[in-house]
Amino acid sequence: MIARRAMRNFDVVLVLLAVALVAYGGLLLYSASLNAYPTITMDHPLTKQMIFALLGVGGMIVVAWVDYRVYGQMATGLYALAVVLLAAVLIVGDEAYGSTRWFSFAGQQIQASEVAKLLVIVSLARYLADRQRQMADPRVFVISLVMAALPAVLVLIEPDMGTAAVFGAIWLGMVAMAGAPPRYLVIALGVALAAIPFMALLTLGDYQIDRFRLWIDPASDPLGGGFNIRQAEIGIGSGGIFGQGFTHGTQTQLDFLQTSTTDYIFSVLGEELGLIGALVLFALFTALLFRGIRAATLSQDQFGSLIATGIVIMILFQVFINVAVNIRLVPVTGIPLPFISQGGSSLVMMFVALGLLEGILIRHKRLEF
Amino acid sequence: MSYFEGRRRWRSRKEKREGTPAGRSTSMTAIMRGLVILMFGILIIQLVNLQVIKGEQYREQAEINALREIPIPANRGLIYDRNGTLLVQNTARFSATIIPGDLTDGDEATAYRMISNVIGMPASEIEARVTEGIEVQGEFNPTVIKGDLERDVALTLIELEPHVPGLSVQVEPSRNYLTGDLLSHILGYIGPISAEEYEALADEGYLYQDFLGKSGVELSYEDILRGKAGKKLVEVDAAGRELRVISERRPIDGTNLVLTIDLDLQAAVQEILGEYSTDNDNAAAAVIDVKTGELLSMVSLPTFDGNFFSGPVSEEALASLIESPGKPLVNHAISDRYAPGSTFKTIVGSAALQEGVASTGTTIVSRGYINVENEFDPNVVYVYRDWAPLGALDFYDGIAMSSNVYFYYLAGGFADEGFRGLGADKVAEYARAFGLGSLTGIDIGGESDGLVPDPAWKQETVGETWTIGDTYNFGIGQGYVATTPIQMLRAITAIANGGTLVTPHVVAEYEDSLGNTLEALSSDTSTVPVDTANLQIVGQGMRQSVTSGVARNASVSSVAVAGKTGTAEFGASRDDGTYETHGWFVGYAPAEDPEIAVVVFLQRGSGGSDASPAAARILDYYFSGGGPTYGPGEDIPVPDPSPVDVLDATAAPGTTDEPIADLPEPTAAPEEDPDTAPEPEPTAPPTAPPTAPPTSPPTEPPVAPPTDPPTEPPQETSPPAAALPDERRPHGVVP
Repeated sequence: MIARRAMRNFDVVLVLLAVALVAYGGLLLYSASLNAYPTITMDHPLTKQMIFALLGVGGMIVVAWVDYRVYGQMATGLYALAVVLLAAVLIVGDEAYGSTRWFSFAGQQIQASEVAKLLVIVSLARYLADRQRQMADPRVFVISLVMAALPAVLVLIEPDMGTAAVFGAIWLGMVAMAGAPPRYLVIALGVALAAIPFMALLTLGDYQIDRFRLWIDPASDPLGGGFNIRQAEIGIGSGGIFGQGFTHGTQTQLDFLQTSTTDYIFSVLGEELGLIGALVLFALFTALLFRGIRAATLSQDQFGSLIATGIVIMILFQVFINVAVNIRLVPVTGIPLPFISQGGSSLVMMFVALGLLEGILIRHKRLEF
Repeated sequence: MSYFEGRRRWRSRKEKREGTPAGRSTSMTAIMRGLVILMFGILIIQLVNLQVIKGEQYREQAEINALREIPIPANRGLIYDRNGTLLVQNTARFSATIIPGDLTDGDEATAYRMISNVIGMPASEIEARVTEGIEVQGEFNPTVIKGDLERDVALTLIELEPHVPGLSVQVEPSRNYLTGDLLSHILGYIGPISAEEYEALADEGYLYQDFLGKSGVELSYEDILRGKAGKKLVEVDAAGRELRVISERRPIDGTNLVLTIDLDLQAAVQEILGEYSTDNDNAAAAVIDVKTGELLSMVSLPTFDGNFFSGPVSEEALASLIESPGKPLVNHAISDRYAPGSTFKTIVGSAALQEGVASTGTTIVSRGYINVENEFDPNVVYVYRDWAPLGALDFYDGIAMSSNVYFYYLAGGFADEGFRGLGADKVAEYARAFGLGSLTGIDIGGESDGLVPDPAWKQETVGETWTIGDTYNFGIGQGYVATTPIQMLRAITAIANGGTLVTPHVVAEYEDSLGNTLEALSSDTSTVPVDTANLQIVGQGMRQSVTSGVARNASVSSVAVAGKTGTAEFGASRDDGTYETHGWFVGYAPAEDPEIAVVVFLQRGSGGSDASPAAARILDYYFSGGGPTYGPGEDIPVPDPSPVDVLDATAAPGTTDEPIADLPEPTAAPEEDPDTAPEPEPTAPPTAPPTAPPTSPPTEPPVAPPTDPPTEPPQETSPPAAALPDERRPHGVVP
């Protein structure tokens, strides 16, 4: 059983920050769904989101309760599960928006890569923690890279560029944290950057090339693919410092924004709550991530520390990419905004990730007193 | 629970911290915190850029996005005849269109089926049209699936619109002309604004999808009929659906027009005129109020269905209308110019009286021709013919009998007898004073200004010197002079009303929707420089023409008519040397206190036997209140107008049932006196044949001045033009 003493280390602030983010996201969901769902019913996205949040909190408690080192023992199996999930979804998954990412299960759609990300983080953490003294060994570096690359390639096939990039970011953050020689990191980054043009030629479908082109010049197809890029930009820009007011953003309320509850939910915030609203969101995320970094620092072992690092990088990178797409800093790629975007898989897995962090925190034995 | 403590097979190595410098952990923490701050920093910079620096600009774009200004078209003004009969209605034309790019992918078949069910066109055909539409104009332009939908079908289809993305029912304003082909040239028609018109009119608030008047009253009163479109500012969603109206300005409907036209009279005139013309010939007739210039009727034949342009116009149908020999789309009453022939004598007569060239007692003997020597070579003699040897004629007789010789004298003088004429410049001056050679200013477009020649004009345009022959031809309305029927009507109106040159017009007043007069239109007038007394003398001559002269076929029992006929040759000579003739009649009634004036023009016909009886029936219709009118060959004998009769009839004025009592005996029968009518020498002609001048020709070349005797005695034709060396000119009487 978990000792009562350990419970003192339970990071309530972390959970409160997550709950605050979910609540914030709920407001945005409500506003973005106002047209389609004038009243709140059981079908309302907000209702569903809250149910998933509760599920997530439950999952978080369970995951935190189990000693995270158990997951380390299961690492090989978890990794295999991640690969199987990602491979299976390509075969039996549901397609939507030109991409195959979802399993249908009990009437819900489960996004395989959301689950796989955490599994890969745990597996990588186990592998790197086991070899913390051999980090200078190029083989360790390469094998860890392959471990991250395999799922990344699978999600790339879906295709899901964004999530593939998240895998890359997670890996890079974790090997850096694990103490890989900086020159390796530099080489890896250099190779990755040099490979981008080739990757683009070899693996990118027309779909990605289109997205890239549209990012550069949304006006090239103002009513097609460029439409949403443009509308999101207009929406956020028109929000100004204080926003147009909650539920008063014309871009959102008049349906100019598409997927305004998922990938483009930040545009709703930008338009209706303005720069102030965005800063509040960033502050919440920064605080949450700092609590995650704290967990990485406090972890009693390298394994926990690496898991925490992976989770922090994952959340940070997803937030960055999602917002950057909204404000046209990077080409369109469908990544949910953690805790905010509508979507059960992402929300539940985010809470599960927090469960891992809590598990690490409540089992750390030092630095208190 | 020990399993969950995770100690069974694998343990995380806790000893890491012993081998790891504390500082490293701290620095990694710092790096990660730095990374978080860095990444959010990047986002914040871009956000500040979008929201603060460019915020205003995006706000405007968001507004443009969500707000749309939608024009509310005004109802076009209605048009009534002078008695309040509605002549045109506003309607709409519906067409089913598909924007292929907006069809739901994979659902096209369903869409086609749903549309097919409503409009009753097979889905396969709809698909074929869409495919064709994509090829021709791309995916994002509406492809017309079916035009001119029934109203019910269109309304059903409009209800379907929200359920079938890509389907769009387009509504175009249209006009339903209730009078068929009766007023087509007057009312005109409307059509979609052309690119050029749009460019010219965009400042006046015209929109690219607007319709506007293209001809007739629809065009000339466009400003009045159009009204002022309203607009509303609406909030739309991304699909363009109107969510709510933010502000609205009601449209101001167009003003209604009341025409001067009397619909019943118009119908009668068109019917009567039609009996004297064929589909392949032009004809025109108009009736005007001599005091106000209001046109009570104006008919141009052949005509066309007023609704021809209201429906979809097929290329072939339009081409056949344009190429049809009678040129139905042209308003021959105002757009075509013809040699006025003897109707022009009314103006020459007025001028001669005013200038003192002639008085009522001026007697001139017509032996059927006059000879003029070539001014350089006395051996060359030109002959100018009358239509018959009419004997001694005073001024009234000159007009009544339409003696060419009489008017040769008045226009060009006769040197042999020391008679000084007006001269070409004076004739031209008066012709212009009577409104010839310039637009009448009628309030519908497409008017021709005709041509009044003079020596300077000939020198400049034809490059030849004006001759006495030109003056003679000019004096009898032949040669270069060309007028529209409406110009002759206007000139005769001035004679009828004592010298006021009115502006003929077809719109009487503007009315609001309740029938209240907003503005009554009056005619601009000017005065002809001829004393009323002199005009009355001309009028008496015209009255005599109807009672006992060449215009007797224009007499009716219901009213005293004054009139003047004209028979002008045109075109190339026929095999037998004769020419086709235009038939003219201009006149007014009642002769003593004129109310209305009439012009009848027939492209093929004679003034006396065709135009005159047509005018008689029109006048009788008007004055006997629409009662029975004369038909050809009834009350008034209408001889066979066949040109075959022409020669025989020349010297036989008594062949009509009603001998012309006051006709002086001809001094000699021209056919018995060939010596006096020598052929002009074919060499050294002082004039060129009066064919069409190279520039600014009338609608048809004023060729071939006629020498033909009339088809029957009481009828004149214009005589030969200038002494023409050409053998074919002085044909007929002279051997």
